[in-house]
Amino acid sequence: MRFRETRWPIEPVAVLWMAVGWLGFAVLPWYGIEDGFFGFSWLFDGYPSDSEFAPALVLALKGEKLWLAPLGLLLVVPLLLWGRTKSDPVFSRLLIIVSAAGFGWLLFQGFAIGLRGWQFGWLTSLFGELGDRQFGMGYGALLVSGAFLFLFTLGVAARGAVSGDVFVVGSIGFVVAMVAIFIFMPILMMLANAMQTDDGGYSPVAFLAKLFSSRLWSLACLAGGSRCGVAWNSLLLAVLVGLLTMFLGLVFALVVTRTGFRHGKLLRALTVLPIITPAFVIGLAIILLFGLSGAVTQSVAGAFGLQPTRWVYGLPGLLIAQVLAFTPIAFLVLMGVVEGVSPSMEEASQTLRASRWQTFWTVSLPLMRPGLANAFLLGFIESMADFGNPLVLSGNYDVLSTEIFFAIVGAQNDAALAAILALVLLAFTLGAFYAQRFWIGRRSYTTVTGKGDAGVHPRLPAGLTYALYVIAGLWTAFTVLVYTVIFYGSFVKLWGVDQSLTLEHYRKAFSVGWNEFGIHWSGSAWSSFWTTMEITLISAPLTAGIGLLTAYLLVRQNFRGKNAFEFATMLSFAIPGTVIGVSYIIAFNVPPIELTGTGIILVLSFIFRNMPVGVRAGVASMSQIDRSLDESSLTLGANSWQTFRRVILPLLRSAMLAALVYSFVRAMTAISAVIFLVSARYDLSTSYIVGRVENNEYGIAIAYSTVLIVVMLMVIGLMQLLVGSRNIGRRGIQQGDGGWSVRTNVSLPGTAGGPTTIAGAG
Amino acid sequence: MIKRAILGAGILAAGMWAASSSASAESLTMYCGVDEVWCQQTARAFEEKTGITVNMTRKSAGEIYAQLRAEAANPKADIWWGGTGDPHLQASEEGLTVEYKSPLLNQLQPWAIKQAETSGYRTVGIYSGALGFGYNKDLLAKNNLPEPKCWADLIKPEYKGHIQVANPNSSGTAYNMLATIVQLFGEDKGFEYMKALHKNVNQYTKSGSAPIKAAGLGETTIGIVFIHDAVSQVVAGFPIVPVTPCEGTGYEIGSESIIKGARNLEAAKKFYDWALEADVQSMAQKAGSFQVPSNKAAKTSDKAPDLSTIKLIDYDFKKYGSSEERKRLLKKWDEEVASLPQ
Amino acid sequence: MAEIRSNAASVTFDHVTKTYPGASMPAVDDISLAIEAGKLVTLLGPSGCGKTTTLRMIAGLEMPSSGRILIGGKDVTRLPATDRDVSMVFQSYALFPHMTVMENVSYGLRFSGHDKKEAASRAHAGLELVGLTGLEARLPSELSGGQQQRVAVARALVLEPQVLLFDEPLSNLDAKLRRHVREEIREIQTKLGLTVVYVTHDQEEALAVSDRIIVMNKAVIAQDGTPRELYDAPANAFVADFIGEANILDCEVVSVEGDEAAVRLGSLALKLPARGQLVGPAKLAVRPSRIEIGPAGRPRTIAGRLEKVTYVGSHLELIIGTPHGQVFAISHNIDAPFQAGDSVGIGFPERGPVLIKA
Repeated sequence: MRFRETRWPIEPVAVLWMAVGWLGFAVLPWYGIEDGFFGFSWLFDGYPSDSEFAPALVLALKGEKLWLAPLGLLLVVPLLLWGRTKSDPVFSRLLIIVSAAGFGWLLFQGFAIGLRGWQFGWLTSLFGELGDRQFGMGYGALLVSGAFLFLFTLGVAARGAVSGDVFVVGSIGFVVAMVAIFIFMPILMMLANAMQTDDGGYSPVAFLAKLFSSRLWSLACLAGGSRCGVAWNSLLLAVLVGLLTMFLGLVFALVVTRTGFRHGKLLRALTVLPIITPAFVIGLAIILLFGLSGAVTQSVAGAFGLQPTRWVYGLPGLLIAQVLAFTPIAFLVLMGVVEGVSPSMEEASQTLRASRWQTFWTVSLPLMRPGLANAFLLGFIESMADFGNPLVLSGNYDVLSTEIFFAIVGAQNDAALAAILALVLLAFTLGAFYAQRFWIGRRSYTTVTGKGDAGVHPRLPAGLTYALYVIAGLWTAFTVLVYTVIFYGSFVKLWGVDQSLTLEHYRKAFSVGWNEFGIHWSGSAWSSFWTTMEITLISAPLTAGIGLLTAYLLVRQNFRGKNAFEFATMLSFAIPGTVIGVSYIIAFNVPPIELTGTGIILVLSFIFRNMPVGVRAGVASMSQIDRSLDESSLTLGANSWQTFRRVILPLLRSAMLAALVYSFVRAMTAISAVIFLVSARYDLSTSYIVGRVENNEYGIAIAYSTVLIVVMLMVIGLMQLLVGSRNIGRRGIQQGDGGWSVRTNVSLPGTAGGPTTIAGAG
Repeated sequence: MIKRAILGAGILAAGMWAASSSASAESLTMYCGVDEVWCQQTARAFEEKTGITVNMTRKSAGEIYAQLRAEAANPKADIWWGGTGDPHLQASEEGLTVEYKSPLLNQLQPWAIKQAETSGYRTVGIYSGALGFGYNKDLLAKNNLPEPKCWADLIKPEYKGHIQVANPNSSGTAYNMLATIVQLFGEDKGFEYMKALHKNVNQYTKSGSAPIKAAGLGETTIGIVFIHDAVSQVVAGFPIVPVTPCEGTGYEIGSESIIKGARNLEAAKKFYDWALEADVQSMAQKAGSFQVPSNKAAKTSDKAPDLSTIKLIDYDFKKYGSSEERKRLLKKWDEEVASLPQ
Repeated sequence: MAEIRSNAASVTFDHVTKTYPGASMPAVDDISLAIEAGKLVTLLGPSGCGKTTTLRMIAGLEMPSSGRILIGGKDVTRLPATDRDVSMVFQSYALFPHMTVMENVSYGLRFSGHDKKEAASRAHAGLELVGLTGLEARLPSELSGGQQQRVAVARALVLEPQVLLFDEPLSNLDAKLRRHVREEIREIQTKLGLTVVYVTHDQEEALAVSDRIIVMNKAVIAQDGTPRELYDAPANAFVADFIGEANILDCEVVSVEGDEAAVRLGSLALKLPARGQLVGPAKLAVRPSRIEIGPAGRPRTIAGRLEKVTYVGSHLELIIGTPHGQVFAISHNIDAPFQAGDSVGIGFPERGPVLIKA
């Protein structure tokens, strides 16, 4: 018998959210506090009467900012539900109307009244000058909007949506609101910004002129002119990188799985390196090797009596650096796919009298097609979004990502141009994303269950094997060479000038001293290092959490608009980091949401950029957990939140680990988005390193990167310990098999089966 | 268990965050327009000296100017320190900054005082940097090239493929060079010069100081930059020789201004004066900045050229700093120079 | 020690229809039924007949598209599973693999307002009831299939639900164990007086354990009755064929008088209970074991020819060609000298054929 019959005169969940709303409205400061989200000096600084820190209620009582008052009234209305049960139609209708009105009003006043009074011309002409202004929203607004959101979902749940499950409807509402605010709103505001002219008006003509300018689209290089448009440059580079990484990835995957190669683990370890290396460090090593004064260029020129050239600057150098950086991703994707091809298919082919060669061409390779497309897409998107390598290597071969950056920070200071360039970039990646989805369609030849059928993959034909060995061997040697340069470079006094060995760079960056307060982090890198650890360690669990929650909704719940929901949550995967950075600056620099210069904006950008991986990892592992487990938990009296927490999450350890590790690594190595978002107080390692590279302090840059690589390896190991594992036996839920190799069953949107890994530096 | 651990980590991190952001009584919010290291050094030094907490944000001068305009109704910063003079002047014209006559004014170089006078004492020069170029002496010798001494040398055909300069569209340094050339030779001849130079340029970089860094690494022979950037390379140990062009050259005046509506006006004034002191300005070289300080008594590196020995043109900051002129020149450069084959 | 008791309640379906989103046909079509408290009722039918959907609607895992569901007289139609006082034993047992036996069994108790100590004591009582004392600390993966099954039962029982649901609970067990476990389930059910709804597709299992069987076919109830009723008096050809095996033969009702109908099967005239049939074409359902095989030409028989004789140990299986189609029969006289090709006469004992609708 269940003792849950205690009757509340009013639904407790509604009471909870009303209380939260009132806490936000009447107790906490409504507006953002200047010294940061976690600064608490306001408590002693004139709160609650000082208008700057006052709660909305106090403001209203003082007769200030009266447009906030209706929110408080709306927060009282749900008390009318006294004595009504959840199943009463009045209950849901009232809640939905009140909370929608509240949320809508909150948004409207936020956007309509800004730093300089009315934000829209028509409001000024309607009401005249406001004579007042408001800043970005703070704790109070946050809680009130949360309260309205969850009162709304409670109302919707009470109407019977998703079997009336409050937790599930609330979660859907939460994820949708988050995605809308932190993905769609910035992109839309960027679009609006792209149409803006210098004087603040909107002009489609100026927009079109910029959009179709010859800087972007010129084809002069084909006709013998000096150079082609930036858009074509980016496209050509991305396609080449996509093809080459796909090819090399396939070669490595075949070597490891199909040739009896015995050092596969070693090879895997080697391929992880580029994933956890800040991207531009590879570019730097390429310069040190192949630049005009590079070791290789000089020795080759010396040996053949040639004049050394700057050949590496531009397409060739970019190609080398990006292929080096992104091949591992293709490799990891294709490993899963190549292993996933059922051996019995190949055995069947052989028993049908096909030779090894014919089997490979007619069965194995076609079965890998979805994986190949995935690998290509990843290479393509990564190349498009890559910022670090073009920064050091592009020469006169301009690409979109750096153009965007310099449109904002350079002398032009043209945010509209940056927005337009970002839109072109977004169009390319979304186009590729769709083309891939369209081409693959529902074609998926591999199984997600991970159940291998008995059978052994046949060896490849001998000739092919040797060819693969040669290609893989050469490329591996090259990778090793590059990393030797990186490692060695961190100990060289001044590369190219003074080759004597020194620990100076490490000392400069990471020296630690003692003073009267204890440890004194005197090295120049510590500040950005600790900020980076803080931001990444905060964002990684949040990313994993929201990713797994979304996965749970996608796999376990049925609701209307689920497809659109899935698409929206996966969209940010196809948005290059540069675009996220630009759009965040545009969207969150001014009220109502003022986040630039804070650490929160970095955390948010990491969460929403890396969320798709958490989602895919969660979807893949959750599909392996029998649905009856949740149902039995429900019939045993647990609600869906308790079920999620006690049954599903514990069983998702491997997915959780993958999502954690991945979002951690991504956040540690990300540069393209954060370069726009860092501030003096919240500087990150990667942007600090870029700064050092810009200052020619290569030694420190490389030393710092080396330290980062080591730290990442350690943290990943630690996470594995933390998430831990408990033998859960034969139900077939695979525990993380050395999760730090970032091998997860993460599949790209639209390729339901293809286990893929998404990784790398963006 | 896991949850608890994550929660713990989160609390710990939040704690660190809160600890790092706890504010003391008096504070100063500074927008800093120079190199990160220099900004940090200056902020920390002021904190040590006065006990006033400095909240510093580093941005380019143009960005700071744009931000001041956006925040005019609700200024968030107190002082704007560093960055090229043009935007400081623009801000003073628009009344975004406050008039303040520092008692230290009489210790300053004439060009710094002139900057203050032009603005009606709403800004003042704190350092100055002259435009020039630098070359890698090893590479020059290897390629048997003569030593370049003047702007005119750089367009000689033997330097083809040896010169790097930033793109004036993205770099203030390169725009300063364009404006300098136009003022030096007149607009028509100036553009002829740029066209001839274009043939010798191996790469237009994005950032202003990148050319001399490439020269330091041996990736180009000559880089056109501010001379103090070339000096940094020399100090760092690279085989660079800075050159001040014989025809004369343009320059920038790094400035500081107090923002109108500053919440901590007293602290801002304190900082303003402090930053003009000789020993404070002498610290710049420790941060790897080799601009010429505005205080006559301030010391700079012996490797930095003495500004008084450089032939400076009478740079018209008002005209060439205006956005119409800037747009016009850049457009012309794009159309007439950048589009030419190299 | 706590004792497991029963809170048995009735279950009522009032014109319940369930159509899955996107499906053109309902999975359950306008079903009304009443299950008395304290009875074991089986939902039986081929796969896809709607029996599992019906069960899940009792559990609250599916919501009906229309109609009302009452448990213990209370309308629970819109109540989600969490809030219903119903427990379920799943086909796969759905034991939480990361929890021990003890944690699994006390899982639901923790959500029902019991404190830790009481939950533990109840869980012990539950485990004792199914004979698993001493295995509390094991993980599910360390148990045999039968033990896992019992844990699942204990986990559901300890909540003392109004209704206990079983979804094909025996299908993962081997044949010998199956017989044993189903008897245990029946024993516990009768001992505690639980209301149990039991889904299976195995008619033998259904006949063995049930107080009542509800046969479902194509989303509707085909027949509802005691095992004996279903076997001896199937309502239609589907039930006749699904419960045990039956020969379905075409016949003609010549006249009906009261409860008795005169039926003609070829040359044979039979008097049978009318069971509501009217004059006209009808069908006869005859159990293979209720067919008498003798020498050809006896009176009141129809003629046939043995086509196949199979010896299966306990009995003989015979396939006989007749003018009315093939007939399948069983003879327990394993020493009878039947051989394929023999001509035989087929007779029907009085309680043999059942008249059903054409």
